[in-house]
Amino acid sequence: MRLAFYSLTSCEGCLTTLITNLGPNLESLWNIFDIDYFKLVREPVGGSKVPKADIAFVEGAVVTNLDRKKLLEIRENSSFVVALGTCASSGNIAFTASRGVKLKNKKLRDVEIFEAEPISSVVTVDFELSGCPVSAEEFTDALLRLINNIEPIQPDYSVCYECRTKGNDCLLEKGRVCLGPLAMGGCGAACPSVGSPCYSCRGPATEADLEAYLKTLEKKGLDKKRAVLMLHMFTGKKAKELLKNGE
Amino acid sequence: MANSKEEVILDSSELRFIEGHGKLLVKASGKDIVAEFHNLEGPRFLTKYLQGKPAEMAPLVASRICGLCFTAHSINSAEAIEKALGIKVSREVRDLRNVLYLANNLRSHMMHLLYLSIPPIKGLISVLRLSDKDVFKAGARLLAKSTELIEIWGGRSVHVPNVVVGGFGAPMKGKELLNSVNELEGLLPDAKKFVEYALDLELPELERYRLLAGLKKPGFYPVHSEDANMALTDGSVLNNQSYFDGLEEVTKEYSTSKHVYYRKSEITVGALSRIMLNRNYLSAGARKLAEEVEWSMNPFLIVKAQAVEVVHYIEELVKQSQELSDVMMEAHNPGVCSTMDADAGMACSFRGSKGKGISIAEAPRGTLCHSCEVEDGLIKDYKVYTPTAVNSKSIEADAVEMVKRFRPIGMEKLKFVLEDLVRSYDPCLSCAVSLDAFD
Repeated sequence: MRLAFYSLTSCEGCLTTLITNLGPNLESLWNIFDIDYFKLVREPVGGSKVPKADIAFVEGAVVTNLDRKKLLEIRENSSFVVALGTCASSGNIAFTASRGVKLKNKKLRDVEIFEAEPISSVVTVDFELSGCPVSAEEFTDALLRLINNIEPIQPDYSVCYECRTKGNDCLLEKGRVCLGPLAMGGCGAACPSVGSPCYSCRGPATEADLEAYLKTLEKKGLDKKRAVLMLHMFTGKKAKELLKNGE
Repeated sequence: MANSKEEVILDSSELRFIEGHGKLLVKASGKDIVAEFHNLEGPRFLTKYLQGKPAEMAPLVASRICGLCFTAHSINSAEAIEKALGIKVSREVRDLRNVLYLANNLRSHMMHLLYLSIPPIKGLISVLRLSDKDVFKAGARLLAKSTELIEIWGGRSVHVPNVVVGGFGAPMKGKELLNSVNELEGLLPDAKKFVEYALDLELPELERYRLLAGLKKPGFYPVHSEDANMALTDGSVLNNQSYFDGLEEVTKEYSTSKHVYYRKSEITVGALSRIMLNRNYLSAGARKLAEEVEWSMNPFLIVKAQAVEVVHYIEELVKQSQELSDVMMEAHNPGVCSTMDADAGMACSFRGSKGKGISIAEAPRGTLCHSCEVEDGLIKDYKVYTPTAVNSKSIEADAVEMVKRFRPIGMEKLKFVLEDLVRSYDPCLSCAVSLDAFD
């Protein structure tokens, strides 16, 4: 089975997470699969041409003409395309940042830029693994399911659920705006576990109820505007959709 | 601009084994050689996004600049905001950040040496094809251990949420962290094995004079230190503000990121610059290894400089963590999470505050500078001068020098050496595009 790992406009933190967190298992992956494209790990097969792959993992948002061209080539040559991380699944910070920005110039010699988009705005995406960064465990789980012809799953619980399971003190109870109730879990409540509020970097949870959440904030006398600002930060295009439904 | 006699003699196409997207183009026009280091990475406008946002959001956003040196960005960011707001962090917070910075640099160096720079120098398609499996395993263990340290310390292995304005979000997991650091000490033989392999590499000779720059503090090998000054190899010493004032942004029509000059000229930052300026202050084991190398201004030596630093970072991590063990133990650690203890949340506490702040530190790839202006608790301006933006001019100048000297061996052969040259600098194009060319 042929795998390929690509990056578009991003910090490459998701690909790096796979390298560092899979540790020696990366070597097993290398032995089991044909990894034909992974520019941080190997000289790609076929040079700069996008190789044929059974599963392509794509990190990053679509920002430049080069991103767009590459992504179309990836789609054309891959049977199954997985969005790897929040840039690819929702556009991440760049989605909002590239819309509010005033620029004199959008075109250089070879690079032209557009408003950032998740990859699903340009091509059909078969599965999304969210997270800033993506979780190596979720990646492994999804890969195992895919090669066994089982549909991969996304966490169907919120960050709140994981946070409470861990026994953390609730930040909302402490009077801090935290998006835990709205956010898709799977991260192990990494941020609230060190006292930092959740910014919903994995996008909305399946049961996200924006209206109820905003009412809770109101009851607690917490800043709703701040919650909306936080929601826009990572959740990108999905925040836009959620807010359209909720307000 | 466009010259009809210009001939492209090398087009690397998209470079492999570097972070972000870019390529090297070399052109000949008569006897003139011109090199262009193209950043093709798209901008994510993170620093522009910060304008108008609450000051305490800066470390979280700045972290996303880079998936390899995120901890450097979040620490520099927290410190720049603290300086702007006049927040004084405790000695413990400063020391703990310094040690976390060491872990960050160790991880980034291991990633660069193991996966990115060494395999192509050895002519391999991947480090996973290294014939000496023990070298790979030793390196992989170090990479995994440094990642684990960051995870315990920072709350996640990438984009750590525990670095916040004012200190740390939660107290250190003292015991876990110390155990992990002690295990790191056990990996010193692994580190020496790996580093000796790196120091044995045969590298091309390319000495070209330029000014090297880095933090300097007599008696120390500074990484993240509040009272270190910037030093240049011409003997000049500058405080943070004068260094910052000397930085100049230069737009190139072929690159999404600007280049950064210092007082209109080229400077080079990074591991080799640090070794040239401070190698007398390396830890004992690292100093011994450093003595084996004949150091010069050959950019290929950056790889060996990073290798020596790997041992230094490990030895320092062990030493400094043991000195800090009391602070790391939760029970003895009430002062660490200063501002975040306030139940009221932080936005309120910063309201009405204003000021400017600069934070300069030695990130893996060289001197990293974050600057900000805050007004009424909101960010008014935010700038990030990354090592790659600073080194871009040096990369181009070295490529020209290389072609001038070695063109007779043929561009086909030279192409690989030129790609190795670019990678030696450990460029990060995702970082560099923080100073985007689109404004």
